Amino acid sequence: MNPELQFDITNFLHHEAYLLDHRRYKEWLDLLADDLVYRMPARITTEGKHNEPNIMNEMTFFEETKKSLITRVKRLDTPSAWAEYSGPRQRHFISNIYIESSPKSGEYQVRSYFLYQRCRGSDLDIEQLHGERVDVLRKENGKWKIASRTIYPDQTVLRLINLSMFL
Amino acid sequence: MSKNIINGKTLQMLREKIESGLLPQWVLSDPDMYELELEKIFGRTWQFLAHESELPEPGCFVTRWIVNDPVLVTKTKSGEIKAFLNSCTHRGTHLCAADYGKQKSFTCPYHGWTFNLEGKLIGVALGDKVYGEEMKKEEWDLRPIPKIGVYQGMIFGNLDPDAMPLEDYLGNMKWYFDILLARSDGGMEVKGVPQRWVVQANWKVTSENFEADPYHVQMTHRSAKELGIAPKDPFFPGYGHQVVLENGHGINVITADATGRSPFPFQGMPESMWPMFERNLTSEQLELMRNAIVFVGGVFPNLGFISFSAPPLEGETNIYNYLNFRVWRPLGPDKVEVWSWFTIDKAAPEEYKEKSYLSYLGTFGPSGILEQDDAEIWARIAQASGGLMARDKELSYNNVLNYLMGLDRVEPDETFPGPGVAYPICFLDAVSRNMHKYWLELLIKDHSIAEGVYR
Repeated sequence: MNPELQFDITNFLHHEAYLLDHRRYKEWLDLLADDLVYRMPARITTEGKHNEPNIMNEMTFFEETKKSLITRVKRLDTPSAWAEYSGPRQRHFISNIYIESSPKSGEYQVRSYFLYQRCRGSDLDIEQLHGERVDVLRKENGKWKIASRTIYPDQTVLRLINLSMFL
Repeated sequence: MSKNIINGKTLQMLREKIESGLLPQWVLSDPDMYELELEKIFGRTWQFLAHESELPEPGCFVTRWIVNDPVLVTKTKSGEIKAFLNSCTHRGTHLCAADYGKQKSFTCPYHGWTFNLEGKLIGVALGDKVYGEEMKKEEWDLRPIPKIGVYQGMIFGNLDPDAMPLEDYLGNMKWYFDILLARSDGGMEVKGVPQRWVVQANWKVTSENFEADPYHVQMTHRSAKELGIAPKDPFFPGYGHQVVLENGHGINVITADATGRSPFPFQGMPESMWPMFERNLTSEQLELMRNAIVFVGGVFPNLGFISFSAPPLEGETNIYNYLNFRVWRPLGPDKVEVWSWFTIDKAAPEEYKEKSYLSYLGTFGPSGILEQDDAEIWARIAQASGGLMARDKELSYNNVLNYLMGLDRVEPDETFPGPGVAYPICFLDAVSRNMHKYWLELLIKDHSIAEGVYR
């Protein structure tokens, strides 16, 4: 694997996490390709082999396009989006970044692990979600864009009171 | 000392308060009350388990919970629905840990006892070699949930062997369920699996929020208005009828404005389906369905539902209808596991179903823009209800919650076509008060308050 490419993409994903954690959502939207597919299927428990993915593609927690994410960001700008008022402190820990084969020329499939943690108000409990993301990244006009993201949570029952965040 | 006991006097006080439109706040956070509810409410009422479409073929199963009882729901070879305690009769092991699946039998991972879809013990590992006359195999089948009932595809279970039949329990709600569940040929279908997440809330708060409280919409969901998705009218969604039903159930039939006419008939369902509705519903049901823009309600104690129509979060102007069912599974006085099913008419065009699903995710899934703010508020109630002042049973701090809206003032509308006691407004606490009354009735059932100590 090309170490420069690895460095470049790692930097990009870390920068993205920084924008999200600091609620710089408009800048984050700029990282998304216009034809973005952004989804988070449900994790399920099934009988069967340990290596089966246990993912339910038919039911998702997010099924978004760039347009719908713009609407979500707009909502957070209203004065009465109580779930994010005042904004929970959040961290996206991104690790195990691995560039897989590129399905199309110029597009790279990138796998990463995520640990998302947040504190709401002065709650003592920390809410968290972890799992894996599979992204398709491409360069447009010399800049990386996320063309698709699939988020695979590890939890079947989410220990979060809502999914008001982006992952 | 007396402060911490739920005795006859406490319940009598609750009754007086509820009758005057007040609810002491301690009932939302008190561990003794919670324990009492598990037995007297959840041990005796009909609990929603699954929709028949989740079990399409013989051999299909789903696993669910009635609070802390694991339940295995199966479809037998002959197509019958059965439900059992999901616990091996040998040593009590959680028998089937999968969420759903299809198989002929269930084998316990502890010693290998095997049960079929009818709950029969069909295999005992090394049976003949290790058991003699001390064990009669036929006495060790899975323990059935005492009562099972199905109405319009909705499968319920009841832990009380003496419970009234499901149809009697649902009572007048059946008429409204027929509109929501049986309007189209083939009824409704569940997509995928229910979404599950945990909210810091008391189950009564979440139940009431769906069953009885359109009043919260104007403030809790104000962001939808600010986004231009919901009507600007501050009275929205107070228009329509709040209907009090028997056994603690209730529904709000919300209309767009005071005219009672809908700008988008049949909640925006495709016109091609309208003749189907006409065929399957009575003229009164049809009229209601044509004009309502939202149906939101609940089956006591903890099944909520909403039939809602929204555009997907795509900037699309067309609206798409869906029916969302909720079970608020109590996990403690201040915790619920939310189970949320997306359902849609089986007969709806595929493209419409897909858009409806996106509308659901954008509004009432756990990422939905309406849902997000609800959960935040429920958690704030739990946060503020755990202290000495809120939990004082002698009410020294006037710690009662306000359910006065419309009390002794708003009169029922006799012209409403549906059954139940229908009030001509949805900003009202009539359904909440009805829930509390039934709740208390169940708490004191089979006990004499006059005898003093209750527990």
